[in-house]
Amino acid sequence: MGVTESLGAVVKAFPQARLVAFADLSSRMILSSAGTLSTTQEHLDKLCDQARASFDDPLFALSVEAFGEPNAAVVMGPENLRFFLRSETEPADAMCCICDHGIDLPAFVAKIRTTLESITHAG
Amino acid sequence: MNRGTLPILARLQSLQTTARIVPGGARIISETTDRNPVAQLLRVTNETMLARSLRFVSTGGPSLTLDVAGRRILRVTDAQGLAGAESCIGLEALEDEQKDDLIKLLQGVAIPREELHVISGPVGRGGEEVSVGLPVALLADLLLIELNATEPDEEPEVAPEEEAPLPTSKPGDSLADGGGGLSGFASALGPALVAWLINGGSEDGRTDGPEEMVSHLDGFLGDERESLERQFDVLSATPGDPICMILGATLVEGHSIVAARVGAAILLGVIEGDATTATLGAWRPALL
Repeated sequence: MGVTESLGAVVKAFPQARLVAFADLSSRMILSSAGTLSTTQEHLDKLCDQARASFDDPLFALSVEAFGEPNAAVVMGPENLRFFLRSETEPADAMCCICDHGIDLPAFVAKIRTTLESITHAG
Repeated sequence: MNRGTLPILARLQSLQTTARIVPGGARIISETTDRNPVAQLLRVTNETMLARSLRFVSTGGPSLTLDVAGRRILRVTDAQGLAGAESCIGLEALEDEQKDDLIKLLQGVAIPREELHVISGPVGRGGEEVSVGLPVALLADLLLIELNATEPDEEPEVAPEEEAPLPTSKPGDSLADGGGGLSGFASALGPALVAWLINGGSEDGRTDGPEEMVSHLDGFLGDERESLERQFDVLSATPGDPICMILGATLVEGHSIVAARVGAAILLGVIEGDATTATLGAWRPALL
């Protein structure tokens, strides 16, 4: 299954995931995305920047000092929930997701993890 | 049993006890079924080494706020619904002549068959430098309480009810009102949130969890609050928006950092285990 199909399968399984994207954090680019949320390139660039900011100081340093390097981040605001997951083997590879608050977060996190692993290992 | 091991066993036992948090960020230290709530109050006080303000609140109504440091009660800073507090309130440091009045206040707030809650916060007046006050061990001796008990408590032999100050307020009057806000968020996260503190806003200074963890979080916020606000703003649609962030290796096991902002208040804490299950349900009410 290709990247586009993998992302599409996530959106199909989790309709409350409005946008699921695969990004290269090192080049700050969303490489592929799927979902019902209409987005411009500007929106995708901003989402990628937010993923980078999630794994940045000062919280990154606190986490590293306390528990080790973080690879997963959930950001909840008034409007939506964003989930960012970096690959443990290829830290530049990341999933960036925008979801409604009602999503089954534990199941979604598990699904995104397996999807990222399959994309990273396939690439 | 070697008496030297008793404090260690008691500490291990308390660490294995699941903490119960109620709205407002308070921790339940004595249940309605506990036979000697004064003993629980003194044990919590005796575990407080760094200077803290401990506010004890009974579901029966009264509350008592103590400045505590180094296993000593330094002073009484507030008493609600308790008669006879005048001799203790306002003193810079409690002395031996106040011990009987203080014991009556402790008995007045730690009412049998009522829950007893504690809310921890920063002391009002530099307690770190104060080396006086009343040792918790002295009060425990007078009340025949074993601070390091590893067995259930016996009924107290002292504290006749007629000598205890009577509550003068309605039940629940002096309980923290929180249900929303960041204290409510902390409460809703439950025991998975093993240590936390709130910096800024009306809930400033509320904390719970092991002192060394809270102290580390406090030091971090002291140094990094401004840069954390900037990190939040990058992740928010509009600077200053409410936001909650959880950061961890996997979010489902091990430890994760939780940081949240609502208005001027920032909560920083540590979640143990699965951070994904309780978080969503806890966050939405905090925005109300």
